[in-house]
Amino acid sequence: MAAVLTVLFNGIAYGFLLFIMSVGLSVSLGMMNFVNLAQASFSMLGGYAMVAATQRFGVPFLASLPIAFLAAAAASVLIERLVLRHFYDTDDLTQVLLTLGLVFMSIAAVTYFWGGSYQRFDLPAWLTGQQDVLGLTLETYRIFLVLTGALLAALLIFGLERTRFGAMVRACVDNQRVAGACGLNTQLIFAGAFAIGGGLAGLGGALAANLLGLDPNFPLRYLVYILIIVSVGGMGTISGTLAAGLALGTADVMGKYYFPQFGGVAIYAATVAVMLWRPHGLMGRRA
Amino acid sequence: MKQIAIAAAALAALLSASGARAQESVKIGLLQSFSGITSLSGQQTDGAVKLFMKQNGDTAGGKKIEFVRRDTTGPNPEVARRLVQEVVTREKVQLLIGPDFTPNTLAAAPILMEAKVPSFVNGAATTGIIGEKSSYSSRTFFATPQLCRPLAEYAVKNNWKRVFVAVADFAPGHDCEKYFVEALAAASGVLAGQLRVPLSNPEFSGYMQRIRDAKPDALFIFMPLGELSIGILRAVSDSGLKGSGIKIMGTGDITDETYLDAVGDAAIGTITSGIYSTRHESELNKKFVREYTELNGPSPRIGWTAVSIYDAMRLAYDGLNAQAGGKFDPDKFVSFVHGRSFESPRGPVTIDKGNGDITQNVYIRRTDKVDGVLQNVEIETFKDVGFK
Repeated sequence: MAAVLTVLFNGIAYGFLLFIMSVGLSVSLGMMNFVNLAQASFSMLGGYAMVAATQRFGVPFLASLPIAFLAAAAASVLIERLVLRHFYDTDDLTQVLLTLGLVFMSIAAVTYFWGGSYQRFDLPAWLTGQQDVLGLTLETYRIFLVLTGALLAALLIFGLERTRFGAMVRACVDNQRVAGACGLNTQLIFAGAFAIGGGLAGLGGALAANLLGLDPNFPLRYLVYILIIVSVGGMGTISGTLAAGLALGTADVMGKYYFPQFGGVAIYAATVAVMLWRPHGLMGRRA
Repeated sequence: MKQIAIAAAALAALLSASGARAQESVKIGLLQSFSGITSLSGQQTDGAVKLFMKQNGDTAGGKKIEFVRRDTTGPNPEVARRLVQEVVTREKVQLLIGPDFTPNTLAAAPILMEAKVPSFVNGAATTGIIGEKSSYSSRTFFATPQLCRPLAEYAVKNNWKRVFVAVADFAPGHDCEKYFVEALAAASGVLAGQLRVPLSNPEFSGYMQRIRDAKPDALFIFMPLGELSIGILRAVSDSGLKGSGIKIMGTGDITDETYLDAVGDAAIGTITSGIYSTRHESELNKKFVREYTELNGPSPRIGWTAVSIYDAMRLAYDGLNAQAGGKFDPDKFVSFVHGRSFESPRGPVTIDKGNGDITQNVYIRRTDKVDGVLQNVEIETFKDVGFK
């Protein structure tokens, strides 16, 4: 019984990790209606910012997380102002190809500055090892992930989907000219929304680096998982992304425990099933 | 039309002139992954070639050495075939180092056989890819059974009788699993369980619980170089599997020096079988590590690719020196290299006389912190392990 509960907990923790990784893309997709695959690159950037802060400048791990958020947010605003804003009116395929190009550029850029090796960093001792909770032996870092993920989800659902700022962004996306005529600074709102999406991706990268490793190919390796979570959850709903992360994370870990001979197929099987059942995702609205 | 014909004639004259000049030089093709996920092996290739040239000069057998360097970009047989074709027919290389990876090696073999270009196989470990169908090839790397068998014997000898086997779910993983399970049965050990991990796998905790439930004495791991190795060692440590007394073993891939630091303290205590450690105790290796690091810097650290390329360069130079003065003869070159024994930074090495594959010492190493740095410290030697 203890084994089953431990596996279940690990699945939930993995689900929160998937949520944290994907929520940046979900935000920019949902609020901006812009397919930005370069979110995976902002994740990587957040990871490298965390490693640079903790290893080179001796910043504590927790303090490095806001740094990762800010670094990725700044980078995403820069990219939005320079490149992406010229493509708001284009079709999805153009946006996909453009941002995929940015992903490749980011891989080359990171290799140039940091080299091709896997980055080395050590978590603080209080985040490693295991803890006894209610008779179960759980991994400390996974407990931390669950708590951080839950906090982040609450903040986003109540802070972004239900605030004036969220409504302003949606207004700008629905009809930029009318929103502008009503006195909204559309350019500023778009930049702000991009900063939040990019920053979240950066935070996700910093939190995931411990479990996933960090090297220049990070974005390509995990882009598929990010896309799966976002599309299963439904484009742009934060609660949908959370539900998808938890469902697929649990399915993956349980599948590997009970049916290891089928490898990692559970996550893909669940994805196909959900997409057949609800083509717009778990909580998706018809576009 | 006329201008084009004249231009073509001029170009042909130019080409044949450069062809004539090439008589005094030997061209070596260098086909490795210099970009992409596997570019670390390319970096080591450059580092090892640079070091060897610095130590031994840029001529061998009275001929100047020129390199034709091409990027295979990873395991891409169609790219490798095209590149081999290009360097052989257009660039007219006389020797080839590479291509890396088993599929690339197989794609290259027929061209090399037909053009009689001797090659040094590196970065491809599958059994049987050297020999009859590629009799101009020699392997300076290792063959999968060399690393996978000895650990079974070592485990049973240390009374870790019940072993759980976890391999990556791809052809080399299946090979290694087969050799290890065979060797374990031969040493009368017990297979406590086995599983195959998909190549794209960010999450190990379900597997960890499964291994824990099987209560083995030891866990044997085979993962390709890269994030799977880092991931599984971290998972083994984070999940408490390592702390529960289960011995963690694997082939040298999982603690390769190029990313051992990224695994961190989770790697300490891991028992691996490897062909090369920078800590190998020999004068030649100390000199190799010191001069390599001086020339190429401390990062990325030296892995087995660097040594494998360095040894290929050694054989190429020795082979060319042996036929100094004359025109390059590929058959003489191959019969010189095959059957040759020499001292490598990794220890004594023999290229098999029959088929060009490699016989070498395999070392059992324990990962430990030495002067604050994680190292693979050799604790036992299996002498002259064959390639079958």
